[in-house]
Amino acid sequence: MTIRDVTQAVPAPEGSGAGTRPAVARTRGLRKVYRSAVAVDGVDLEVPQGAVVGMLGPNGSGKTTTIRMLLGLVRPTEGEVELFGQPMPESAESTLPHVGALVEGPGFHPFLSGRDNLLRFAAAEPLLPSNKIGTAVADALELVGLSSAANRRYKGYSLGMKQRLGLAAALLVPRKLVVLDEPTNGLDPAGTREIRRIMAELHARGTTVLVSSHLLSEVEATCTHVIVLSKGTVVAQGELGELLEAGNPTLEVITPDAAQAVDALRANRIPARLAPDGVLVDLVASPAPQVIETLVQAGVSVHEARRKRTGLEDLFARLTESHEDEAPVDLELNEVEQAGVAS
Amino acid sequence: MTATTWEDAPAVTTRRHRAPLARLLSSELRWIFRRPRTLVVLALLAIFPVIIGISVQLGTDGQPETSGDAPLFVSAITNALALPLGSLMMLLGLFLPLAVAMAGADAIAGEQSVGALRGWLLAPVVRGRLLGVKVFGVAVVAVVSAGLVALTGLVTGLIINGTDGLFTLSGTELSLVDALGRIGLAVAWVALQLLAVGAVALAISTTTEHPMLVVAMVLGGLIVSQVLGLFDALSWLHPFLLPDPWVSALPDLLRDPIAYDTLGEGALRAVSYLVIALSLAYARIVTRDG
Repeated sequence: MTIRDVTQAVPAPEGSGAGTRPAVARTRGLRKVYRSAVAVDGVDLEVPQGAVVGMLGPNGSGKTTTIRMLLGLVRPTEGEVELFGQPMPESAESTLPHVGALVEGPGFHPFLSGRDNLLRFAAAEPLLPSNKIGTAVADALELVGLSSAANRRYKGYSLGMKQRLGLAAALLVPRKLVVLDEPTNGLDPAGTREIRRIMAELHARGTTVLVSSHLLSEVEATCTHVIVLSKGTVVAQGELGELLEAGNPTLEVITPDAAQAVDALRANRIPARLAPDGVLVDLVASPAPQVIETLVQAGVSVHEARRKRTGLEDLFARLTESHEDEAPVDLELNEVEQAGVAS
Repeated sequence: MTATTWEDAPAVTTRRHRAPLARLLSSELRWIFRRPRTLVVLALLAIFPVIIGISVQLGTDGQPETSGDAPLFVSAITNALALPLGSLMMLLGLFLPLAVAMAGADAIAGEQSVGALRGWLLAPVVRGRLLGVKVFGVAVVAVVSAGLVALTGLVTGLIINGTDGLFTLSGTELSLVDALGRIGLAVAWVALQLLAVGAVALAISTTTEHPMLVVAMVLGGLIVSQVLGLFDALSWLHPFLLPDPWVSALPDLLRDPIAYDTLGEGALRAVSYLVIALSLAYARIVTRDG
């Protein structure tokens, strides 16, 4: 898989007007009730085109159920799902051929070889011409590094190899959207890096990627956008950087004159508090340069000042543990998108 | 995922795409007939008529021909007409239904149990079409199983007795062509009965992800039906039992002329089972969570 002329690899999406990029996938008021258990409730999410969207959430938070409804595998109890602007699951035949998915682990028959399993699914791919099935399967095996094990029975595959084969099935055909549900399950660190590399390459080609994971570092490393689910509802979604910023905009100033600094800042109506090595300054009201200027003018010796970014882990913990008491952090994706385009 | 193919990726439109049906069907058949246990069952089915033919032949070979009836009786069982039909009749009791029940169980519950059903739905193969592909696969298994039994029975009969002694139960002797026609009819009729069993298996298959459960329920139901068919007090129930005509219908093909009453009724029952079971299977598969 080499990247050649990435700009050409991204054809203009249909119906994309000037300005806003359409969402590849969108849900409104999605709700799924199994018997009496509510799996997903009131989920409104958007997967912007070209983004790598990480779907985060603790086990049982509704990630997989949401993905299954997106793909038309499960009919929602309430709410709407749109893929490429078309309603699901009614439009499965026009949308799903463009979607590659690895959902709930790989599903293959143990008595067939990896290649034969893939050939079987390749036969069902609507966009794959019959004379290209062989090459498509070989290419997909090559991509996930299974060429040498292609003729071995699936039964004998390791967990990581099974996962790779599932990924190969998702990438049999050029896709507009790739949905990966916990893709790194069972993979060793090298395998995880491979998945990241593949996701990065998909991103570079303009393929939209939706990946669910409970591994935060993975999402932080590869995603442009994040959707956080907890107890079946979306507690935050938006561009990754924005979410982290929105979490806690704080400037940490290292100074020996902490008490003097706090006084000076408070005199200028800038909220600040003492920290072990200096002061923590709330940046909601005033930008960082103004804070530092204030401090310097007050004669405080500033040794170091850095933007304290909330790690994804902190954000995640905050969102998923106490979201019931807080208003959800909800960024307008369109604004974020435009900001992204402009930059 | 070569660069060229990804650059050629067609844009998403509202046009519906479907994989060619012939490709799906041949892929399904390849899957069915590469499965080791399918092959084992088919091999056992093929051997069975050979075993009957040889053991009947051996059992009577060394005996002195004191009774004048014995050679006729023996040839009547081992001849190229009676052996295939007799084998079909005996195997229809349990073993042939087992073959289609397994096929029906693997077709949906088996796929679901390993998570492969999702792969079809995501391709996508829409659910009604998927059921159609699965029905086709089960139908082929039904025809192949019945055909295989008849074929090895015929060949064994021909080897033991040649084209001689193609007697009917009415005492007349048939030409080989006539006999082959009757065997063909028997295969078609048995395949139809098996397809009805397979349709029931598919209907159960859509409700579970445990293929063993499907096989157990189908065979259990079959045995119960056969037992219920034994009691005259339950005669009001007999017209609803699929296996009820099984024992009496096939020997009618050995009469001259053929008595079509029971065969026709059996066919009608099979079609009824088929329609009802497939309707239930369809209703279930379109609402099932994938």
